[in-house]
Amino acid sequence: MTAMQTGGLGQSTAASQQIVRKRLRTNRIVTTLAFLATGAGLFLLAWILGYLLFKGFTTLSLSLFIMDTPPPGSAGGLANAILGSLLITGVGILLATPIGILAGTFLIEYGRGSTLAEIIRFVNDMLVSAPSIIVGLFVYQVVVAPMHHFSGWAGAIALGIIALPIIVRTTQDMLQLVPDALREAAYALGAPKWRVIVVVSYRAAFQGMLTGVLLAVARISGETAPLLFTALSNPSSTTNMSSPMATLPVVIYKFAGAPYADWQNLAWAGALLITFSVLILNVVARSFAPRSRN
Amino acid sequence: MTEAHLELHSVTASPVMPIIDPALDPKIAVTGLDFYYQTGHHALKNINLNIADKCVTAFIGPSGCGKSTLLRVLNRIYDLYPGQRATGEVLVDGENILAPGYDVTRLRAKVGMVFQKPTPFPLTIWDNIAFGINLYEKLSKPDMDNRIEWALRKAAIWEEVKDKLKRSGTGLSGGQQQRLCIARAIAVKPEVILMDEPCSALDPISTARVEELILELADDYGIVLVTHNMQQAVRTADFTTFMYLGEIIEFGETEQIFSNPREQRTQDYVTGRFG
Repeated sequence: MTAMQTGGLGQSTAASQQIVRKRLRTNRIVTTLAFLATGAGLFLLAWILGYLLFKGFTTLSLSLFIMDTPPPGSAGGLANAILGSLLITGVGILLATPIGILAGTFLIEYGRGSTLAEIIRFVNDMLVSAPSIIVGLFVYQVVVAPMHHFSGWAGAIALGIIALPIIVRTTQDMLQLVPDALREAAYALGAPKWRVIVVVSYRAAFQGMLTGVLLAVARISGETAPLLFTALSNPSSTTNMSSPMATLPVVIYKFAGAPYADWQNLAWAGALLITFSVLILNVVARSFAPRSRN
Repeated sequence: MTEAHLELHSVTASPVMPIIDPALDPKIAVTGLDFYYQTGHHALKNINLNIADKCVTAFIGPSGCGKSTLLRVLNRIYDLYPGQRATGEVLVDGENILAPGYDVTRLRAKVGMVFQKPTPFPLTIWDNIAFGINLYEKLSKPDMDNRIEWALRKAAIWEEVKDKLKRSGTGLSGGQQQRLCIARAIAVKPEVILMDEPCSALDPISTARVEELILELADDYGIVLVTHNMQQAVRTADFTTFMYLGEIIEFGETEQIFSNPREQRTQDYVTGRFG
């Protein structure tokens, strides 16, 4: 609209109208391509979710949540795996969150511009993309092997290591968005550094940091490879973190590849549970995500 | 509006003779101050200046002349950035704030600051004001309420926010946010308030309100005002300092600086020939 009005003021109306037509045409083509790309992504997502619902829904029942994984041929549920996943993911996040937030705080509030901070940032970015099976092998070597048995603790440590760089990264990004003017304003009142960080920076970045933690939960709750080497599995429910523990991803891995129909059905139900939990977590994380102010 | 404001001020704030001579009883006395940025840039060169209490002193000059840098020395906020360095002497109430071991917290309690862009903390209006007070005093809830009301009234924003003290300070309009920041600075009972272009992000009506407020506050506080807007200096300042390329070219009563400058460069700047 504006383009046409501006064009009308020029000397050659015909030429400017041609330019406008060309721009409108390009705009239509790009818009169409963008719609198609979005459609393709959504289609795949809908397909996966639909298929999971179709396959897993029939097995969804109360017994899924109260009975442990069965031997082939008998009735059972996923209670031990659900409990194990909740515990291991929860402990993993509890390990990673304080370290991650403090590290992110160091990078922005204390070490900004220093060589040490630059190195940590670089290594952390590498850790974000480290294959999770390597983390599993590492924890196997330093935790499982010396203890001589698989354990929930080892699983939690492995998942914590995977969550850590994500939390460092989001904390760092969110603190970076806090305007320096805000910090200066707090210092100008005579506030000490820790108070500026806790009351001003954290408060301003809180929603973003919380989103980061929730996204890390979503990420690690679906990890399988590191748990195979650490928590392994356990046919019965336990809250003893020192013993091997079943988790949803590992049970899915084991049951989906087995030749027994009831195990395969349980695997589908587990896949459905995990996918929708992650979906819900992501939606919750979004609702916390910082909205633009003003 | 501005015309009326100007006249009003020239009637009230410019008696026949100078109110005080800043050199006789300076609140802040700057002697031989040099300032260097991390890059080595020599941003302030041999600054000598006296700032009087309970007056408005304006720093004017083109961008990059060092007026904000000078302001940022007066509460040592530049300390936050390693590599920035000030040498010379800045006496506040006779104490050299650049001396090693000088307690910056004490300085900042005495010398408050208001920034170019409003900087409300992401807290409630009440907590915004309480933040500064809590750094120095432990007040009971009723005392705190009183102090907050006092500060908000003093900053001429009480009537607008008294019913929403528990709402976020970031939800206010730009002009209200700036007055909230002024209230926050006043709440810790400073003696000097530094203002770094406090109106440059505000619309004309909010600007007029903040300028009125500056004039009122000058009854109780020494105010140092950096401004790009020469008319603002004329409307609000008792004394004006013209700076250029890191040096003070001329300092004097505002009326003299604008109507009868001694220096050619001041003349050129205030008449709009450059800058």
